[in-house]
Amino acid sequence: MKHACKEVSKLASDSLDRPLSFFERLKFKLHLSMCGHCRDFDSNITLIHNITEMMHATDYGQTRLSEQQRKRLHDSLNSSIE
Amino acid sequence: MKKGDDDPHTWLNEHGDYLYRFAMSRLHNEELAADMLQETLLAGWKGFDRFAGQSTIRTWLVGILKHKIIDHIRREIRGRNLNEAIENDPTSAYFNANGSWSEAPNAWKENPEDLFSNEQFNKTLESCIDKLPEKQQLVFRMRDISGEDTQTTCKTCDVTTTHLHVLLHRARLALRICLNIHWFGKGSAS
Ligand SMILES: [Zn+2]
Repeated sequence: MKHACKEVSKLASDSLDRPLSFFERLKFKLHLSMCGHCRDFDSNITLIHNITEMMHATDYGQTRLSEQQRKRLHDSLNSSIE
Repeated sequence: MKKGDDDPHTWLNEHGDYLYRFAMSRLHNEELAADMLQETLLAGWKGFDRFAGQSTIRTWLVGILKHKIIDHIRREIRGRNLNEAIENDPTSAYFNANGSWSEAPNAWKENPEDLFSNEQFNKTLESCIDKLPEKQQLVFRMRDISGEDTQTTCKTCDVTTTHLHVLLHRARLALRICLNIHWFGKGSAS
């Protein structure tokens, strides 16, 4: 089964971006059940993926320009426009 | 058109927070978001004769901002990346000729919530992303950091879906190694 790690690492990555086909999923699950390295790889990249998902799920609804930023923007508009 | 419609100061007052939030949601960086906002207001002012009045000023400005953000990501990556040569087939660095791991991954103990709120970790992650070759970095930033969908990412980066998946796979292999070296491998890093 070891020969398949490279291919399985691609399936692990793909599964974060698209649904795997039935056979891909079968191959993937079967390999993971026997290969700790690929299980670790899968959980490592899933962890990275979860963190980036938290980033773009961050609610910036309360975020506002600070007075300082706002002033700087007005100033730089003035100097660019004149 | 009402009074003030062509004045970037008015845009800043009326739409500044909205545009800033939009930029933050893509870039997650206050200074950068403010810079993009500034570029957007200026570009809007310079190109105001192209505003047809079919959409609202806000929608029009968001359109400009989107382009500014993508331009920025592209420009940044071009400017910094020297690693292009290994983009050909970097997977050979991670696997032996028979397809087994050349350096076996190991388990990471920390959970995503803690890492996400850890400023030091975010810096490490950012510096690892910075080291990715241009194309990998571009698609990773668009897809995983900005959260664009597959279709938008492919269109913007001019790649097929298949190629996008190949690039993301390479990016994740490289990021995993980099984080393992600079964060998880350090024992009690947190
Ligand atoms: Zn394996």
